[in-house]
Amino acid sequence: MWLTSKIKQVLLVIKPGTVTLPYPFEPHPVPEGYRGQPSWDHHKCIGCGGCAAHCPARTIFIRDLCQDLRVMVYDGGRCTYCGRCADVCPEKAITMTKNYELATGSKKDLCTTMELFMATCNRCGRCYEMETKNAIDRMNLKGYRYDNLEMRAVLPVCTEQFDTGMLAKSDRFKRPERIGE
Amino acid sequence: MATIQALTDQLKKKFGNAVTGVENPSATQLFIDFKKEKVREICNEVLAQGGRYLVSVGTDNLAKDGTLGLIHTFAFDKEHYFLSLRTATKESEPIESITPDIPNAGWSEREYMDLLGMKFTNHPKPKKLVTADDWPSDIYPLRKEVPFNIKPLAAENVAYQLDECPEGCSIVPFGPYHPTQHEPAHFALFVDGETIKGSDYRGFMIHRGVEKLAQTQISYNEIPFLAERICGICGSVHAASYSQAVEIAVGHKISRRAEYIRTIMLEIERVHSHLLWLGVAGHLIGFDTVFMQAWRVREPIMWLGERLTGNRKTYGMIVIGGVRRDITPELKQDILNVIGTIEKEMITIKNAIIGDTAIHRRTKDVGYVSTEDTIKWSLVGPVARARNVDIDVRRDMPYAAYDEMKFSVPVVDCNDVWGTVLVRVLETFEAISIIRQALDKMPNDGPILTPFEDAVPAGMHGITAVEAPRGEVTHYVITGEENRPERWRVRAPTYPNLQGVPMMLLNNQLADVPIIIGSIDPCFSCTERMEVVDLRNGGMKVMSQSELEALSRNKR
Repeated sequence: MWLTSKIKQVLLVIKPGTVTLPYPFEPHPVPEGYRGQPSWDHHKCIGCGGCAAHCPARTIFIRDLCQDLRVMVYDGGRCTYCGRCADVCPEKAITMTKNYELATGSKKDLCTTMELFMATCNRCGRCYEMETKNAIDRMNLKGYRYDNLEMRAVLPVCTEQFDTGMLAKSDRFKRPERIGE
Repeated sequence: MATIQALTDQLKKKFGNAVTGVENPSATQLFIDFKKEKVREICNEVLAQGGRYLVSVGTDNLAKDGTLGLIHTFAFDKEHYFLSLRTATKESEPIESITPDIPNAGWSEREYMDLLGMKFTNHPKPKKLVTADDWPSDIYPLRKEVPFNIKPLAAENVAYQLDECPEGCSIVPFGPYHPTQHEPAHFALFVDGETIKGSDYRGFMIHRGVEKLAQTQISYNEIPFLAERICGICGSVHAASYSQAVEIAVGHKISRRAEYIRTIMLEIERVHSHLLWLGVAGHLIGFDTVFMQAWRVREPIMWLGERLTGNRKTYGMIVIGGVRRDITPELKQDILNVIGTIEKEMITIKNAIIGDTAIHRRTKDVGYVSTEDTIKWSLVGPVARARNVDIDVRRDMPYAAYDEMKFSVPVVDCNDVWGTVLVRVLETFEAISIIRQALDKMPNDGPILTPFEDAVPAGMHGITAVEAPRGEVTHYVITGEENRPERWRVRAPTYPNLQGVPMMLLNNQLADVPIIIGSIDPCFSCTERMEVVDLRNGGMKVMSQSELEALSRNKR
């Protein structure tokens, strides 16, 4: 019993041989549809902010510097590479590239900044129709988040918003006894 | 047989006015509201009728009607439905604990003492469970008025008070960081010589507040991605479970094709998880051939996941309304090829280890729990099936496309760790067969994603269970305002199973602790240093690996 098991185990080990990949010395290709680093095509982007509103990890921020200039910042340091931004983009301006070798000494290497010139509508003066019946609002109905884009820039919420009364309570908190006392 | 009708009648007859409302929105869901004074009697009656305890859900309704809600949920496996017993209590009034009758409710109730400030009478062990030792005792993080990112000041020299050590025993600390555990969890083992006579557990050191985050920060369609990150091994299970709970709560139908794709993804995950566990179990008993070979066989399925979903793990595939990517005919052939190879390799591995006396000696009669105790403690998954408890929500509460799948549920009566090995190996073959059936029967048309057409109504309840590789995952969702759930309760399979570990450890040898704990949940990590503390002067010296090796060699 014991010996036959051992013989079977030896065969199990010998048969496949070496399976380790020579990876760092030879490139390791990834399959089609791989979700690597996202990339923005500024020719296609219309600046709707859909990606910013739907990023589960909240890594994409948008701020309007003035009426004609909208800045988008992608902070790859917190990105989970879920590819949700590419899914919701109405213009297919976002692609998940095959780039996965992202180790870097500087977080800035992972960030993308895009300045978009937003043409003004001659009739209403707005860059983008934010009233009813636009794509974002419809998504909102279907369970997506839609925040005020300006507010997004201050995420994560800073310490001023803490409840100070609650914080004071923790000062007077009576500590449990020490072990051994 | 306690069908929905029979059970409702029985409870109404027995408790009369204490039962204040009955809701039966769909065939698998039954909600009963009752007055809190009768909680223990009603739960006992439900147990007597054949209910299996799942989890309790605490809710904060203070802003609405000044109460804290408590929902005890049960599964009726034979009759295929979930029962949720809902009650509420004023903030200052205690509620009776059900833990003396249902030991597995112990953690749920302790959790709400910590997180919601509920008070329970007659709880056998009313100690801290979730919050940190220095967390202020009057801040309840799951209450609505507490911000999600509150950071109270830290306190020094605060420690959890362990249970009383039995007479004549000494305490061996196991963890928080132990070479055989991949997550920090502290077991204090009370040993008499080498034999374990009892233990106390202090875990939840990596409590991340996922539920609070989902209830305050993100919205319905983003939570699947957060849910997936609850677990690195069975991520799809949590995403599927959450999505189903929301779909059930609001009565949203998804296409049949999407359900089939979900089934395939869940089973692919099971194959990978069981192979991973098999490797880890081999590693824990010092049999690294199994570890290397099981993980070699597992690797192609990781690559398959990459081709199907774009990522090795955390597939990001399952969202509310369906799935994100389709399975094309080429991918279908790809899946068939990969699982064919894995099945062949799996047979080789099975033959190589099934008769190995070394494995038998390390696992047989280790971690013994009787079938009665398994049922009493509501253990789930392979841990329960290895102890002759025939439960599997894929068969009992069919979800996704499991109602059309033909598979057997392996149940063995070894009642020990060897049983969990057997069950998991056999389940891998069943999973492969399910993938084949699903690919074969999958309808060729139909949308893969059916999003909501309208806003999600608030105040709807939904409960669902999904059979994860380690046992069943239970999710309870109460929909809320602002496009996010008001309450989302996640119960992972380790939650009930870990409560059974002290029972499994009892009267076993200290050397078997890693494999007993590993038999419910795979874990390993490697630390090549240790600290030597000199008690007399309090000095500390960190020894390097070479020093340690030299020390141990010289001893010999």
